[in-house]
Order: sequence, then C-alpha cells, then structure tokens
Amino acid sequence: MMDSGWLVILPHISLAAGGILIFCAGAFMRRRASDIIPVLAFASAACAGVSSAWIDPGGPGFLGMLDSGGFSRFFAVIFSLITLMTLVFSHHYARDRGFAGDEFYGVLLFAALGMILVAGASHWLIFFLGLELLSLSLYVLIAARKNDPASNEAALKYFVMGSVAGGFLTFGIAVLYAVTGRMDISAGLGSTMTADNRAGLLLGLSLVMVGIGFKISLVPFHLWTPDVYQGAPAPVTAFLSTGSKVAVFAALLRFSLCSHEAVWAYMAPLFWGLAALTMIVGNVTALAQTHLKRLLAYSSIAQMGYVLMALLAVKHGGASAVVFYLAVYALMDLGAFGAVAVLSGEDRERDDLEDYRGMGYVHPWRAGLLAVCLFSLAGLPPTAGFIGKFVLFHAAIQAGYVALALVGILAAIVSVYYYLRVMGILYMRTGECGIVPRTGILGDGAGMMILALLLLLGIVPSPLLTAISNIVSSLSH
Amino acid sequence: MIPANLLSLIIFLPLLGGLVVLAFRRHPNPCRWISLGTASMDLFLILSVYLLEIRVHQAGDWLIVEDTSWIETLGIRYSLGLDGISLLLIMLTSFLGIIVILVSWTQVTSRVALFHFFLLSMQTGVLGVFLATDLFLFYLFWELQVVPMFFIIGIWGHEKRIHAAVKFVLFSITGSLLMLAALIGIVVVHGSQTGHYSFSLFDLVGTSLSSNLENWFFAAFLLAFAVKTPLFPVHTWLPDAHTEAPTAGSVILAGLLLKTGTYAILRFAFPLFPSAAGVAVPVLMVLGLSGVFYASWIALAQKDMKRLVAYSSIGHMGLIIVGVAAWNAMTLSGSVLQMINHGLTTSALFILVGMLDERVNSRQLSDYGGIWRKMPVFSGFFLLFCMSSLGLPGLNNFVGEILILLGTFKVQPAAAVIGFMGMVLVLIYVLRLIQDAFFGEPRTDWNVRDITGREALILVPFALLVILIGLYPHPFLDLVDGPVRNLVLETGTAMNTGAM
Repeated sequence: MMDSGWLVILPHISLAAGGILIFCAGAFMRRRASDIIPVLAFASAACAGVSSAWIDPGGPGFLGMLDSGGFSRFFAVIFSLITLMTLVFSHHYARDRGFAGDEFYGVLLFAALGMILVAGASHWLIFFLGLELLSLSLYVLIAARKNDPASNEAALKYFVMGSVAGGFLTFGIAVLYAVTGRMDISAGLGSTMTADNRAGLLLGLSLVMVGIGFKISLVPFHLWTPDVYQGAPAPVTAFLSTGSKVAVFAALLRFSLCSHEAVWAYMAPLFWGLAALTMIVGNVTALAQTHLKRLLAYSSIAQMGYVLMALLAVKHGGASAVVFYLAVYALMDLGAFGAVAVLSGEDRERDDLEDYRGMGYVHPWRAGLLAVCLFSLAGLPPTAGFIGKFVLFHAAIQAGYVALALVGILAAIVSVYYYLRVMGILYMRTGECGIVPRTGILGDGAGMMILALLLLLGIVPSPLLTAISNIVSSLSH
Repeated sequence: MIPANLLSLIIFLPLLGGLVVLAFRRHPNPCRWISLGTASMDLFLILSVYLLEIRVHQAGDWLIVEDTSWIETLGIRYSLGLDGISLLLIMLTSFLGIIVILVSWTQVTSRVALFHFFLLSMQTGVLGVFLATDLFLFYLFWELQVVPMFFIIGIWGHEKRIHAAVKFVLFSITGSLLMLAALIGIVVVHGSQTGHYSFSLFDLVGTSLSSNLENWFFAAFLLAFAVKTPLFPVHTWLPDAHTEAPTAGSVILAGLLLKTGTYAILRFAFPLFPSAAGVAVPVLMVLGLSGVFYASWIALAQKDMKRLVAYSSIGHMGLIIVGVAAWNAMTLSGSVLQMINHGLTTSALFILVGMLDERVNSRQLSDYGGIWRKMPVFSGFFLLFCMSSLGLPGLNNFVGEILILLGTFKVQPAAAVIGFMGMVLVLIYVLRLIQDAFFGEPRTDWNVRDITGREALILVPFALLVILIGLYPHPFLDLVDGPVRNLVLETGTAMNTGAM
C-alpha cells in the first residue's frame, strides 16, 4: 500500500528531481552544462510521461489531496508530451538566441509539474499551489530573452494581471471554504445549496471563475493574451497557450463535474454568456490581425470559447467531448506556434504575416505543418480539428444548447476567413520570405509527429474517444 | 467475385495516386503519367462494376454496400452504398477525372505535382460524396472536396484568384456548417426517440419530427446544397470561381461539384425531410425557374466567354432543381440524366474556351471573330456542344430537358410552360456567342493552329457521349430507373401529406 502510494507520484517526482538536477548542473558543472541540461530535461519529461502512462491509476491519495485516477493520468501524459515537444522546439531556438541556460530548462520542468498538479488536484490547496507554481514559472519563461524588451514587457504584463487574477482566485477559494467548511473540492462543490450558503457559494465561485477565466483567457479577461503571446519566444508561447490552458480547463472540468445540480444551475448561464462572448469576440478580432502570433492568440481565445460551450453539456455526457478537444487543441496550437519557431530566422521572430508570402514552397514541410494546424483549427477535414469541432457541437446540441451552438457555428464561419487568409499568404502569393537556416532535425521531427497525429486523429479518432469516455466515466462516479 | 471493399478502393485510389505523385516533386512528366494512370485505373474499376453488377442485379436496390464500424462512441459507421444513380455519377466523375489531367497537360507548368495531388484528392472527395450513406461520412467528404478546390483556384487561377477561392470556401462553409447543426439535430432527435444513436441514412429516414423542427432542418440542408448547386440567389460565388479558375478547375466545378449539390438534395434532403420538402416544392420551382431566366439574362450581357458559360451553367442547374422539385419518376430520371448531360456539355465548353485562351490569351468575346475560317475542326466541336447546350433534338440535353419539362407539366403545368420559355432564352445567348466568335470578319493578326492530337483525344469522347445519350439514352435511363422509382415511392407519399 505504502509502495503504490509513492509510485503514483512518480511523474511529479521525476519532474521535480529533473528541475533540481538541472539547477545543480547549472551551478556546479558550468563547463558541460549546455550538453547535459537539455538531455536531463528531456529525460525527466519522458520519464514523467512514461510513468504516468504505465503505472496503474490509483484513487485519491495523500490525505485525499491528489487524485491519481485515470483523468489525472491522461492529462499528465498530455502535459509530458507538451513539455517534450516544447523542449524539442526550443532546443535550437534557445541556443541560437542565447537563453538556453539552466533556468530555462529547469523552470520549464517546474511549470510542467504545476500543470500536472492543477489537473490532478482534488483539494483546493493543491490546486492553488499547482497554479502558483505554474504561473511563477511562466513569468520567468516569458521573460527568457532577457535583452529583448518585448519579451520583458510581456512577462511584466502577464505578471501584473496574473497576480490580480490570482488574488481573486485565492479570495474565492477562501470564501468557498468559509461557506462549505471543506477544502476538498468535490465535497465542497457537491454540497447542497441552502438559503444560508447560497450567496457565499456563488460569490466564491464567481471569484474563482475570474481567476480561471484569466488563465484560459475567456472574454472579457483575455486582453493580456495577444500581447503576451506576441512578446514571448515562440516555443514558450506554444507551451503557454497549450499547457497552462489545458491544465486549468481540466481543473474547471473537474469542478463542473463535481458541482451540485443546484450550484450548476447557477453557473450554467454564466458559462453560456462567457462562451458566446469568447467565441464571437475572439474570432471577430482575429479578422483584423496582421501579425501571425496575434492572429493565433485570438484564434486560441476563440477555441476556448468552443470548449466552454461543450462544457455546458457536462451533465449530459459532454465531458469526453471536452477532454478530446483539449487534447486536439494542445496538438494544434503546439504545432502552429512550433511552426512559427522553426520558421523564424536567427535574429528575430517571423511575425508579420507578409513575411510568410510563398513560404509554402520555400519550406514545404514546416509551412505544411502550419497549414495543417490552421486547417485543423478551422475545423476542416481530414484533420483532428474537424472531428473535435464535430464532437463539441454534437455535445452542445445533444444537451439542448442549440442557440449557443448556432452562435458557435456562425463564429466558426467567420473564423474560416482568417485561417484561409494565412493559407493564401503561404501558398498563393509570391514574395521573398527568405530561406530559414536549418533548425535541427529534432524540431522538424516534432513537427512531423504533430502533423501525423493531427491527420491520424482526423481519420481514426475512435481509440482515443473510447479511452477518454472510459476515463471520464471513472471520474464522475 | 467482387472484392469486399471495392467501393473504398474506388474512392481512395485517386488519393493514393495523389500521394505518390507528391514524391515526384521535381519531375513534371512522371506526375502527369502517374495521375493519368491512376485516374484511368479508377475508371476501369468503375466500368467493370457497371458491366459485372448490372447483369446480376436488375432491380433498383443498392448494388454494392460496404459497412464497417468507425467511431463507435458516437454511433458513426463507415458505410458506403452504390445504386444506379451513384453509379452513373461516379462514372462521370472518373471520366472527368481523366479529362482534367489531359486538359492540364500543357496548361499547368508550375508546381505540377501539387496540382495533380489536388486534382486527385478532389476526385476522392467527390466520389465519397456520391457513395456515402452515413451522414457523418457524407459530411466529411462534403467538406473534404472544398479544400483541394480552394487551392486549385487560389494557386493556379487568374488575376483575382485568391478573392475567388476564399469566396468559394466561405459560401460553401456557411451552408455546410449550418447543415452540420441540422444533421446533429436529427440524429439527436432520432436517438432520443429510439434509444439508438445512428448516423445512417437508412435509420434516419422516417424519423418523426415536429413540423417546425423539420422545416428548420430541411432549410439548413437545402441551404448547403443550394449553395453548391448553385441555386439562385446563392449562386454569386460561381461566376467568380469559374472565371478565375484554371480550365481543369472549371471542369471540376461545373462537371462534379455542382452535381454533388443536386445529388445531395435528392439523396438526403428530400428523403430525410419529406413533408418539409413537400411544402418547399413551389419555392424550389420558383427559385429554379428564376435561375433559368436570371442566368440567361445575365449571360446575354457577358463579355467574358468563361463567365458566359458559367451563367449558362446556373441556368441549366435551375432546370434540374425544377425537375427534382416536381419529384416524379419522369422528372427525377430527367434530372439525373441532365446532371450527366450538364457535366459533359458544360465541361466541354469550358475546355474549348480554355483552348482558345491558351492560343490567344484572351477570353473577351470582343477579341474574337471569324474563328471558323481559321480553325474549322475546333469550331465544329464548339458548334456541336453549343447545340447540345441549347437542347437540339438528337443531342443529350434535349432528352434530359424534355423529360423534366414533360414530367413537370403533369404536376405543375405553369412551371413547365415557363421552363419552355426559358429554353428559348438559352437559344438567344448561345447563338449570339457563336455568331460573335465564330463568324464575321476573321482577325488577320492571328496565327493559330487548329486542334492538336491531344486536344482531339479530349474532345472526341465528349462528342461521342453527347451524341450517344442524345440518340440512345436507354442504358443510362435504365440505370437510374429503379432507384428513382424507390425514391418516388418512399418519399413521394410523405411529401404529399406535407403539402396538404
């Protein structure tokens, strides 16, 4: 019993140990640090992924604070994959720009640990700790290019706004604890609503939602997103837009599943409004963007709106749709920002859309990755995004949210325009976009893997969908 | 005798060939030959199905079906079915699939491998639409055919190609996403009634819907299909797309993509929502007839030959819609036959205009005149297809049009009479085209050759088919007769109750 108790946190241990080892290597083995550190980081992320995939899932452990069931494990695997991909994309990128030190790799692993904690927390305290670990690490990662003003500005912006949102979240948790007397998430949210605790419960939940809305950049808490995504180095943006959003959304999914029917009845209209607003504003604002990273930022905002729409169906079996789309979304955005990273020259980021003219012919594979990711984000076949969108709309309509689904469909129609615009620039215009130096076989390999996965999931989604529906049904019991 | 997944082979063989072609990026000629080989093999497969299967089954039922589980959690299956109607349409598809490769042989010289990849994957999408019997699978192919077309117009098109390509996709997506909502809607309703979640067309036919819901669902399906057809007034993407597309793109658009719209109306929209369809019949007739008149009227004013043919295309499709809306055995047979006829005639006209464009580098009617004296053989072909387009007896279009109009006369005499008058308008603009371009003073500054051997190879099959269908349409009509009777039997009664 004791053994398996420790075994279930092997992913956490390997990430934490990897991070500490990297800092040690940076401090004591200065001469060979640049060789050892990436290998260490890669190995510990891989170890985390493998251990979370292979060790039998357990129940809530550690005084009921940490859930190690199938749900948490599934997300732990996703975060390990995201971390691995980010490491691969940033390997050359960071070295060429001179920020490949121990702090970058170590902090990246700690951020991954934070994500796993957030998605696996069954206790408010662990959730809060995980989120703070994640956020603090991200502040550092965004500012990784110390001599780049845009990067620093982005980090400061994320820090200031993130702290405020964190404050709301903390206060919300405190209020929830005060009202329900439970720090256990499912027990607290699952408690029945009475006349006495109604005001407190709703106040607490609303405050928590402000914090969460900031982290997954729902409209109207989204204003930081384009600036931060644009300022941060592209591999970090990939990590930030996928990992942190998926982690917080996984937590939100857990809250929604646990919440009592009466509590949910109050939350659903709020989610309805947020989802509609996010889908509309995200997509419409993206139309006007002239920079690829900003365009992708608004697109990722809109994507969260679609997922939130399906989250409303969570009490009617919509949870597996949400989980499936989160996994697909992680792949798509990782691929899109990863493509920006491998298409960027040595000195600066390739951000202006005009710089991508004719890129499809100069770098067919890397631009192809970007194109497939954009097609997937737009929801066109034969990509995973097509199945994902279908699953989301299916869940929403099945649960009776027809009007919201129609809003989503109209927003998706608008979105097709800006995705096609990028496609037109990549393949239908000619220009001197310049040849990008080789960015290493690893980055291209990761890109190919994402591309292959997106197409594979678009054609045979069944195994993943079945696995997810088993995981979700284990969680709701 | 027939391999179990023959239909899948037919659908995915072109895509496979397309992927192989991509490997020959630096060698244009192997690309062309491999594509031609793949497309010919596909046609051979389909023709062998025709020759073998037709003897075995004389009835109008499904000749070959294929059914495998695909996405179990949602009740989606990978199911395909072939009946006479789809057989006829996939024969057209694979025939035009070969033609477009031949047409582009000298016309497309840049990014040849990519071009052929898109041509072949396009064919996969269209074949899938004609064969899918699971609604989700159908929707997948329906969306899939849009993507290659976007690139074909956008990369190899003329001056305003990007605008036209984006417009094409936006129109299509708007229709199809709303259809997606309705599609999920009917599945959910059917599932909650029977407890069995299925996307199969056969399961969903006969789902009892409240009339309000049924009207909305039908409207969403119809919008998606009407945009593709294109039905007046959602046709405005078509002239742009045709004008900007390379010849191969125009042939695929006119010959295949537009057919998926009318095919889907009679395969999915009417059978799934019969009483709503019954209510919509007058609207469809009015829109179809307005299309005939409007398109002919606009065609009269066109100075660009490609645009003129594009508008004539809208007019012909309008008549097909009239035939579908009348929904009896005669008009449906006529409409299906007319889909084939339109695919042959309009494609041939686009190819001829493309050949002129290749020689003179202009599509403006005012730049031409007296072609007959310079290029007699070419002009002969042009005249033949123009005569076919305006419905000269003895040629293919006459048979389809007469079936549609006579059948419509039985149920809606007024519509048929108006339709006849529309045919007269077609006569005017086609004769004007011929007069302006082929007769009159020749332009002495040209030095153009008559058609080459390759071009003759393209045009002769078209000419033979046009004449064959015109003189002896029975083999084609026999093919669709059974399925059409089933459609009328199953959907017709329910439609009438709706119209009451």
